[in-house]
Amino acid sequence: MLGHLVGRRAFCLAVFAFLFVIPFGANQYFLFVANLMILFIILSLGLNLLIGFAGQLAFANASMYGIGAYGTGLLMKHFALPYWFSAPAGTLIAMSVGTLLALPALRLSGIYLALTTLAFAQFTLWLMMHWTPVTFGAGGFVPPPIDFGSLPVSGGQAIYFISWVVCVLLFFVAKHTMESPIGRAFVAIRDREIAAQSLGIDLLKYKALAFAMSGFFAGAAGALYAGVLGFVGPESFDLLQMVMHKAAVVLGGMGSIAGSVIGGVLIVVLQEGVKEIAFPIEIVFGGLLLLFMLFQPTGVVVLLKRWLPGWQEPLHYAPRRVRRAATQPAPAAAQAGED
Amino acid sequence: MEMFSYLLATGITTGALYALVALGIVVVYKATGVVNFAHGEMFMLGGFMAFTFHVMFGWPYLASLVLAVIGAFVLGIVVDRVAFRPLMQRQSLVSVLLAMVGLSFVLKGVARWLWGGKGDFLTFPPLVSPEPILFGGIMIMSQQLVVVGAAVAVMLVFVLFFRLTRAGRFMQATADNPKAAKLVGLRTDRVYMYTFAVGAAVAGAAAVLMAPLTMLYPDIGFALFIKAFAAAVLGGLTSITGAIVGGLLIGIIEQLSAGYIDTGLQEVAAFIVIMVVMVFLPTGLFGQRAGRRV
Repeated sequence: MLGHLVGRRAFCLAVFAFLFVIPFGANQYFLFVANLMILFIILSLGLNLLIGFAGQLAFANASMYGIGAYGTGLLMKHFALPYWFSAPAGTLIAMSVGTLLALPALRLSGIYLALTTLAFAQFTLWLMMHWTPVTFGAGGFVPPPIDFGSLPVSGGQAIYFISWVVCVLLFFVAKHTMESPIGRAFVAIRDREIAAQSLGIDLLKYKALAFAMSGFFAGAAGALYAGVLGFVGPESFDLLQMVMHKAAVVLGGMGSIAGSVIGGVLIVVLQEGVKEIAFPIEIVFGGLLLLFMLFQPTGVVVLLKRWLPGWQEPLHYAPRRVRRAATQPAPAAAQAGED
Repeated sequence: MEMFSYLLATGITTGALYALVALGIVVVYKATGVVNFAHGEMFMLGGFMAFTFHVMFGWPYLASLVLAVIGAFVLGIVVDRVAFRPLMQRQSLVSVLLAMVGLSFVLKGVARWLWGGKGDFLTFPPLVSPEPILFGGIMIMSQQLVVVGAAVAVMLVFVLFFRLTRAGRFMQATADNPKAAKLVGLRTDRVYMYTFAVGAAVAGAAAVLMAPLTMLYPDIGFALFIKAFAAAVLGGLTSITGAIVGGLLIGIIEQLSAGYIDTGLQEVAAFIVIMVVMVFLPTGLFGQRAGRRV
């Protein structure tokens, strides 16, 4: 009977309420971990919009995260701008770069898009490591401390509450956009691009919107990360980070907003747990990604849907039978061909 | 001039190895429509296996080469069995790619766990004496000659395998028209499996050839994968010739841009080539133009 009470709304409410009360009782370490959870919820929400809803397999999420963090930190460091200005500016920089990635996405899909964005992500990482006069190179840098002015809290707690507020806002933005015609346009593009186009969905507009939104989410998480950690370095935005974001989305459930909340929290718990027992982290996240794709491709939310009668998941991700290679006369450059 | 010829020779040597890795990507892509994201890990593990046999056990180089190639062949089968076959039948391309990314990280993690930590670089002894040879004023490392010769031999074997053997023709038939291949009785699933395996074996051979020139580390797989992918897209992603020409071009571009513009460019040249080719010339130099199927 209890199962009927546990729905998505109740669950998300509980997670956010729990995250809200953490700073009142937790020590520094748990505060940091909880803050990471908040950031990962934002990140997996943003990536889910792109992969789970709009179906664009892009690998540049970790670099958007990095651009947000670097943008914020560098504006503070080079121009001595305050955090309240640098963080939104860094977020917007990440969003603009993310939107630019939509341009190749118009002509490329599938593997081509995946590898182009992967090349872009590696290029960004290289810039962070080698453009020393601007980015301070591989060692990273420490942005000046944040001045919280007249806020009633300070230090770690202040940035924690800011992250919490941003996360809740972005959660509602993601939820409501995905329930609106925009979200349905995303899903239509994911399921079949050409059918969507023939229904009058403007591919340029919606793909650009998907990339912009996901860039904004990742950038916001990055801007907060710069404040949370007080240090910005390239190794936080490498391939492993990319795999962690992917794993968060897949674990939670592709195309599910509640799933992103679950995925974000789970990934951070796992990361800290794995650090504790010193097991190779690559094997854990790579293995999770692989196992979930093989055995539970719809993520944890579908299990919850099965077990909890109150959990009504409007499943936006229905894995469909693909046009298998075997049914294509020449898989060749089909996806890359110019229309 | 001397610098140019030196850079060119180095570029051709590394380029020939990129071409070998790119061959595997192209063959797998042609047959299955999927890029093997774990292909770089096939290369890396091939090199690590050769290191184990040659350096740790002290077995002769050629024996290690053969064993590493066999090992990589088996790994290719593993990729097919684990990440490709179960997913391709019921899932989308996104799932296959994500599963392969996951698998590649697992393999990388296993290599790091078995052979050493993040900062460890394994060194391989040189094959021949490092003395340079002079060809009418042009200095060439004998090592490079050996590597290029071996790479050309592997390519020849590979091409002949495709042209002449039954298995090679099965693969060609399946790549050309999977449905028809199935209709005439080819077990396409098995053909896919061997395609993955052959691609991985060639990558393994490339790794053993490259090992004496460079150092081995767990992240080398991804670096090589990206470079070979750049070579493959430059060549059009569906053409064997394209992969070879693309590989050589990438090797030369890397060396020249590093030598004349900035050394840092050696690392990013491949990323820039991928982005430029994808945006401006998606069919590459040798790729066939195909309309989009609706």
